[in-house]
Amino acid sequence: MAITEVRELDRRRQAGPRATRTLAELAHGPEAFRLLVEAVTDYAIFLVGPDGRILTWNLGAERIKGYRASEIIGKHISTFYTAEDRRYGRPERNLREAERRGGIEDQGWRVRKDGSRFWADVQLSALHDDQGKLFGYAKVTRDLTEVRAAEERERQLVIERQARVLAEEALRSRDRFLAIASHELKTPVASLQIAVESLLLSREQGTLDVPRTERGIERMDRAVKRLAMVLGELLDVSILERGTTTFTFTEVDAARIAAEVIERFAGVKAQDRIDADLEPAVVHADAIRVEQVITNLLDNALKYSSPPARVRIRVAPLPSGALIEVSDLGIGLGLDIAGGLFEPFARGTNAADIPGMGLGLFITREIVERHGGRISGVAGPDRGTTFTVMLPMQPPRTGDGGS
Amino acid sequence: MGARRVLVVDDDPTLRETLGEVLRDDGFDVRVAWNGRDALEKLDGWNADVVILDVMMPVMDAFGFQSALDERPEPAPPVILLSAAPGLASAASELGAVSVIAKPFHLQDLIAEVRRVVGPMNGTAPASV
Repeated sequence: MAITEVRELDRRRQAGPRATRTLAELAHGPEAFRLLVEAVTDYAIFLVGPDGRILTWNLGAERIKGYRASEIIGKHISTFYTAEDRRYGRPERNLREAERRGGIEDQGWRVRKDGSRFWADVQLSALHDDQGKLFGYAKVTRDLTEVRAAEERERQLVIERQARVLAEEALRSRDRFLAIASHELKTPVASLQIAVESLLLSREQGTLDVPRTERGIERMDRAVKRLAMVLGELLDVSILERGTTTFTFTEVDAARIAAEVIERFAGVKAQDRIDADLEPAVVHADAIRVEQVITNLLDNALKYSSPPARVRIRVAPLPSGALIEVSDLGIGLGLDIAGGLFEPFARGTNAADIPGMGLGLFITREIVERHGGRISGVAGPDRGTTFTVMLPMQPPRTGDGGS
Repeated sequence: MGARRVLVVDDDPTLRETLGEVLRDDGFDVRVAWNGRDALEKLDGWNADVVILDVMMPVMDAFGFQSALDERPEPAPPVILLSAAPGLASAASELGAVSVIAKPFHLQDLIAEVRRVVGPMNGTAPASV
């Protein structure tokens, strides 16, 4: 609070026989408080009658609101309110509330004499006489426009900083995705191109016989299948990461889905390596996505272990939902489970000739998490690998409908 | 002197089989390996005149292979890097590769590069790098 120009104010008001007095002389006199209030420049401090009309004025009020005392004394406080606030009766309501509660604090836009607005912090206190009858109000107003603007700038800066961090992370993630996607697509394209060009070269050299042609076709077939698989996985990852896909949750029996998946593996010679232990386990889940989870896990187990090693799948009901467990006695993943096995493109260090590029487990985890479930894996370099999925009875509300 | 020896190291079976076949047709003595460790075994008692090497491979990648090669008493054969990996140029300089071919590539370009690196069919192999 700035107290200034007491002597000057004094001189202005007391021009007459007693030209100057010291502040010490004034401090205990009856005028002391009036002088103090009048000299305050950072606060508008004035008295208001019970009818809402302005009775006194100070330097702060003049500075903040732009009116001189002669212009404003006798006017109603609604003069300072915006037209909208006046329309909604805010000045009268503030007076009533101050009377009822003894005092109020209000923040809002007020209007200066020149029509410009400022953000005001207003304290309005009711004053009562000896009989307890309302005889007016004390009003203290501060101009918080600058403070508010600074706070707003600070808030804006924080929001912008957060947005920038998110945008940068999204960009890094997209760059990583593009780099790996491009590598994974180039590999089968290179195989395909070389298979085709070797056939063309043989034809040119006149050595294109039937066995050569057959080998070439088989290689092209392999490369195209790999290409299609890579593309499918990339699209799936992109869709799942964006969260644009819609999950349809219905009552499904994980055991029945597992039985169907195992049946689909029939005909493939791997099928006779699967031991199934299936108990009905009914949960609310997306049947197609659960099928995808079981297929991925079984496919993984079959790929990472070679005959005659057995692959085991167990589905069982849990008090909280369903358990799906797939284990193999294969080569193990040779990968630290904690170290990003479920991250996109993670692959076992001993994945050898095993096709795929490590998106399977990432996709599986995304699906399980969208169900509100959990997935964990236990693997060692020497022994087999076990993946455990737990699906809850009900998916989380937010996961419903694919937000 | 026998045929020039080429070792093809790539984890993609389609690519290494096709390259093996084409290079054999071209008169090279070819072995194939699916990773760095397998490649070291193939080089046991069989010194290659050139190694066509993928970068990212399971079990042992190009970097593990190169450092194992450098520890052997025999001079290391020249390496042609063949990869779809990003940052191939820096990998090549780190590995001391004599040349780099980015996947996908033309078969004829690779054959020409192999011929260039091993020199004329009756000459001597270039010094290792």
